[in-house]
Amino acid sequence: MSTTAHVPAPPGDPLESAPVLVGRPDDRALTESLLRPVLEPTRKGWAALLLLLLGGMGFWLLALYKTLFVGIGVWGNNIPVAWAFDITNFVWWIGIGHAGTLISAILLLFQQRWRTSINRFAEAMTLFAVAMAGMYPIIHLGRPWLFWWLIPYPSTNYLWPNFKSALPWDVFAISTYGTVSVLFWYIGLVPDLATLRDAAKDRTRRIVYGILSFGWRGSARHWQHWRVGYLLLAGLSTPLVVSVHTIVSFDFAISQLPGWHTTIFPPYFVAGAIFSGFAMVLTLMIPARKAFGFEQVVTLRHLDNMAKVILATGLMVAYGYVMEWFIAWYSGNANEWFAFWNRVAGPYQLVYAVQIFCNVVAPQILWVRAARTNVLVLFCVAILVNVGMWAERFVIIAVSLTRDFIPSSWANYSPTWVDWTLLFGSMATFGVLFLLFLRFIPAIPISEVKELRKELEHEDHHRAATRAAGEGA
Amino acid sequence: MPSLGLPIYGQPSGLDARRWRTLEEHAGQAAGASSEFPDGAATEPPEGVSRRGFLQVLGASVALAGLEACKPPRENVVSYVRQPPSVTPSIPSTYATALSRDGYAIGVLVTSWEGRPTKVEGNRDHPATGGGTDAILQAVPLDLYDPARLSGFAGKGRSWGLTGLFTELSAIAREHAADGGARLRFLVEPTTSPTLAELRKRILARFPRSRFDAWSAAGEDAGRAGAALAFGRPLEATWHLADADVILSLEADFLALEGEPLRQAAEFGARREPPRMNRLYVAEAPYTVTGGAADHRLRMRSSEVGAFGRAVAAELAARHGLAQLAPLGAPAQGERAKAAAAIAKDLAGARGRSLVLAGVRQPPAVHALAAAMNDALGNSGKTVRWHASPVLDPDAGTATIARLAKELEAGQVDTLVVTAWNPLHTAPADVDLRRAFRKAPRSIVLALRDDETARAATIRLAATHPLESWGDLRSRDGTVAVVQPLIAPLHETITEVELLAAFVDDAVRGPWRIVRDGWRTRGGFPPAPPTAVGPTGSTSPPDTNRTLRADPFDRAWEGWLAAGVVAKSAAAAEAPKADLARVAQALRTLPAPGAGLEVGFALDAKVHDGRGLENAWLQELPHPVTKLTWDAAAMLSPATAKKLGLASGEVAELKLGERRLDVPVLVVPGHADDAVTLPLGYGQAGPGAVGKVGVQFDAYLLRSAAAPWIAAGLEVRPTGRRVDLAITQGHFDMEGRAIALGLDLGELDHAKAELDEHRGAQASILTPVDYSQQEYRWGMAIDLSRCIGCGACTLACQAENNIPVVGKEGVLRSREMHWLRVDRYFTGTAEDPQSVSQPLACVHCEAAPCEYVCPVNATVHSEEGLNEMVYNRCVGTRYCSNNCPYKVRRFNWFDYRGEMAPTLQMLMNPDVTVRARGVMEKCTYCTQRIERARIGARTAGRKIGPDEVVPACAQACPSQAIVFGNLNDPASAVSRKHHDARAYELLHELGTRPRTAYLVKLRNPNPELA
Repeated sequence: MSTTAHVPAPPGDPLESAPVLVGRPDDRALTESLLRPVLEPTRKGWAALLLLLLGGMGFWLLALYKTLFVGIGVWGNNIPVAWAFDITNFVWWIGIGHAGTLISAILLLFQQRWRTSINRFAEAMTLFAVAMAGMYPIIHLGRPWLFWWLIPYPSTNYLWPNFKSALPWDVFAISTYGTVSVLFWYIGLVPDLATLRDAAKDRTRRIVYGILSFGWRGSARHWQHWRVGYLLLAGLSTPLVVSVHTIVSFDFAISQLPGWHTTIFPPYFVAGAIFSGFAMVLTLMIPARKAFGFEQVVTLRHLDNMAKVILATGLMVAYGYVMEWFIAWYSGNANEWFAFWNRVAGPYQLVYAVQIFCNVVAPQILWVRAARTNVLVLFCVAILVNVGMWAERFVIIAVSLTRDFIPSSWANYSPTWVDWTLLFGSMATFGVLFLLFLRFIPAIPISEVKELRKELEHEDHHRAATRAAGEGA
Repeated sequence: MPSLGLPIYGQPSGLDARRWRTLEEHAGQAAGASSEFPDGAATEPPEGVSRRGFLQVLGASVALAGLEACKPPRENVVSYVRQPPSVTPSIPSTYATALSRDGYAIGVLVTSWEGRPTKVEGNRDHPATGGGTDAILQAVPLDLYDPARLSGFAGKGRSWGLTGLFTELSAIAREHAADGGARLRFLVEPTTSPTLAELRKRILARFPRSRFDAWSAAGEDAGRAGAALAFGRPLEATWHLADADVILSLEADFLALEGEPLRQAAEFGARREPPRMNRLYVAEAPYTVTGGAADHRLRMRSSEVGAFGRAVAAELAARHGLAQLAPLGAPAQGERAKAAAAIAKDLAGARGRSLVLAGVRQPPAVHALAAAMNDALGNSGKTVRWHASPVLDPDAGTATIARLAKELEAGQVDTLVVTAWNPLHTAPADVDLRRAFRKAPRSIVLALRDDETARAATIRLAATHPLESWGDLRSRDGTVAVVQPLIAPLHETITEVELLAAFVDDAVRGPWRIVRDGWRTRGGFPPAPPTAVGPTGSTSPPDTNRTLRADPFDRAWEGWLAAGVVAKSAAAAEAPKADLARVAQALRTLPAPGAGLEVGFALDAKVHDGRGLENAWLQELPHPVTKLTWDAAAMLSPATAKKLGLASGEVAELKLGERRLDVPVLVVPGHADDAVTLPLGYGQAGPGAVGKVGVQFDAYLLRSAAAPWIAAGLEVRPTGRRVDLAITQGHFDMEGRAIALGLDLGELDHAKAELDEHRGAQASILTPVDYSQQEYRWGMAIDLSRCIGCGACTLACQAENNIPVVGKEGVLRSREMHWLRVDRYFTGTAEDPQSVSQPLACVHCEAAPCEYVCPVNATVHSEEGLNEMVYNRCVGTRYCSNNCPYKVRRFNWFDYRGEMAPTLQMLMNPDVTVRARGVMEKCTYCTQRIERARIGARTAGRKIGPDEVVPACAQACPSQAIVFGNLNDPASAVSRKHHDARAYELLHELGTRPRTAYLVKLRNPNPELA
């Protein structure tokens, strides 16, 4: 297959942003460059980072052991703050897990080309984030070994979960989301696994990747089925993007605690989830792109687009903050108004300040195009948004609980080492999973990038032909 | 399943055969009943269905491994509610007995499960209680089962069994008999026991030159000295508040600590609502429970209280025709004069229906002043009655112990017998008893726990717990109550009766016979028919039925035991005449309040004089005013703290004369300025597992013999150190929310519209469940006007419902488990606030926010409206607590009940599930008591009575602030309370429709002082 001459856009066109694919590498070049992280020998940097994160994971396991065998009293939770780091971490991780499906499904349906190079990456992040998130609702139980009582199974005692409670809804939402995300991710992966199988040099890999690729031969019929299946799953997961965090927000919205009891939560949580999800994609993508040399396929155009999504969802989140305040004032509910003042002037005002700075102030720099295409600025903003969204969940969940209706029951919350370890340990575990993903699975969907290149070539031809026709006339 | 190892009669116990306690046992010898009780259970055939044998087998069947002493007492104890030919398993019995407080009796009823006492309630027939209890009484069973209790009798390198000990004591007594006991001394606590009185008389007859010295750190000798000043005799006052319209308390905490607080609180509470509402003025330095209940609390240093009393007396003399008080009076200046004038007018308007009380911290002259004022106001014989004091030791003050210490120091004492509680700890600092004590070659100490005095003794004797003992006590009016045991001693212990009897070679008779025979003589009954004497001298009690027919004394005795009081044993009230000249003379010599800081020593609402220090329930009970748990602190006012540069939790160095003490301070709103109050009893030397948890400081180290209660010249210096004080309620302000509502009496008529916003139906799009057709609709009403905030309900709930303690660390993390908490709010200025206490447990919302959020239906509603908690189903999401606007749910963060000592397992109420780790729990409205009542009613084929079910909190409440019952029965007390003009619902605006209603706290301020 030969490389067709790349026709760049006329220089100086301000409306044309960076390309979604730099150059027009041929199939071999693409395959080789995108498979290099998987096929090449283990790098020292990768191994060192893995070791470091495994160490963090060890602490995480120790904290889990303490939690499961001693009791959740090893956390700082108390009455009134019965939920604190546990549910904060849960909502934070599940929010992060939103970017994957959004990129894979919704952007696919909207035929956004720039999703192509980053979707697998984002989906993997989603999976690992959902895995981290899903752990918290189980270990936060007083009796975690009975978590399955939340699942509606046909019990001989005719005991069912309480469908009025938002927590069984959570079980459905998260398990559905997790299942669909795995399927979507895996189906997208099958052609690339076949590529890996074909490119593998040793027998073990051939067998392993051979099994994993389900006998994919790349026939037209395969591709046709694959296309239909992928599109169907995209359609199926699209509502999930909205539903999962909506239901997570119901955990709070259906209660009557000031600071939780508010109807704005579903859209506000979904926007926040996408906000944090994209920030996490950027946080991971920027170093990985550099380390594995993906600059050609993950271009400044991708970063720019993601920054725009962050800016847009950040503004939605900010609107949510304003509306919360407005309703607290407009409702005339003294308890509600107090709860919001408590965020600003109470014992956790610093956390609230972090939330506002990171989520509202910091993203405003993304109005500037130069910032959106500056890798360092983007990385810093992404980190800040991650921190800010964690702070937001802490403020909503724990700070609202510290001071509710009856002043005598007010009490502050302070985390223990186990709380901190479970937070940072889960990040380390997430990192371990992600490093393994980068090493053993092509992080950029090779087949889709090839397809994209074909489309771009076609357009290039078309554009060249139009221009030639114009010149001829 | 592993064997439970329950001992079964006639079979070896299921215990691991490798376990052994003595070498004899190890060598294969019989490990039967302890040789201490040779006539115990193991020798009686089970088929001899005598009550005693049956009880013993039953007792054995519940006893846990290695606890063969867990059995009912050997002697006849008589059930309060049913004459027991037998005991029905799983049906608890109630027995009347009496417990001592400062030597006086408090009549109690103790619930016993097959010989295992678990719960203490007040005996309504006893003059010292109106049926209620206080926190200290509720905590008594925990002391009984405390694994840290002393056991056995040991000297330097020696130990004895019971008979061996008696022989030893007998030998010691013989040694001293030669010189008439000149070198023998007894250090005892003031007591009212007639049996101990007789034993002392017999000892003094055998050892005429020995002496009994009484010492109690909580001694009320000032009150008796004041009576002696006024009347020439140390008479005993009893206060009767039922007919008192106007009350002036000169620093008397009569609702919590002084006099007979339980009865007084009941009488006071009954007068806290219209139409006959009383008015209470309190002049005091620390913020006390009584001060919190006052209509006018006059904040002043303790040393100024006497002068204030004199100002009132001067006003009474000058303007209200009580000229005889003129020499006692001394007018005050400024604000105080205005208050004194208003109070005097109020008192004078209620002659014969008023009352002036003086507190234990005030000097005798102030007590005499109060007596003279009552006399002049015509209150004597009405609101205050005088009796001959039942106390054997009217003078238990510091002079007595100082004299003893001097004798010890001089080497004049060979044998010192100590039955007083930990005198090395409680003795005044300038009486160096610690050093003097060691000069005695032989010291015999009777103690419940291994305290400092017991450790210093040459012979240390484990004391029998009051619930294991026979004895007797009088209340303040002289009424006798017989102390009967609920359980055979758990450990190898003896009672004070046996110890003293050993000195007249009479101990082998056993305490039962000593007490009983004494009463046969005192009651003028014919001598007992002869009974068989056992090998060790103990006698088998005679068969009940036979003796009941034969012996009139037995009939009387069983009647006394069953009722808990000896009928008509009260002393006649006297009508003494006050010698005003002598009182005036004493008042003139009252020292004027000095400038600078003053320190006041206070008995603690929880540990009393320190003897409650090792009781975890008391330690974790929030202090009624400060809500402090586990710790104690020097209390001072916000202004004084500011002046000294101190804040709550900061450690200050207190210097009084030459003595210094490092104490954390606690800023208490409403405390008198320029005064520091130090609670006694914390910081004992070598505390046990419980006592060592909190902040350690020994206030006794600053207390001198000359000024045991109030001392001037205190210097305070910040040290810069800080400690964490475990306070359960950090926020004392209601934030302007309608939570604990209070009104002045005059406002009540106009407050209907305002109160209607907090009660009645709420608009809702959901149709509320209709409970009106149910047979029972359980509900509660809490009258804030009656509540004094003492915390008895909290501990009653803890004892009834097997609630664990979480320790200081748990409290610091806000994980206290109390199902019922007493919230305290201050209103007004921080310098001089009023307070309101609000008991808050689960209010059993009809539309309960906790229920719909539980993912597994673990908290559900019963048909009768109880919000039920299904522990088995709970997975512990804690969502229910998050959604509970009252925050009354409690969570088992750890396995709090995992490793329990065998004795502590006996403390558990078998009707209530012991909760595991990871489940939520909360108030059940004592559902177990509802079910007991239901069983009784069904058996009898009737409905449960309107007021038949009494939850533990309502039963304990001394002022009867809590009422429970069937809201569907218009005749029930709770229905009437729910329809009271003062009733409102807490957080009514949330539409939770709580079943607990609150009644607005009323105050009755004097318009002239408004």
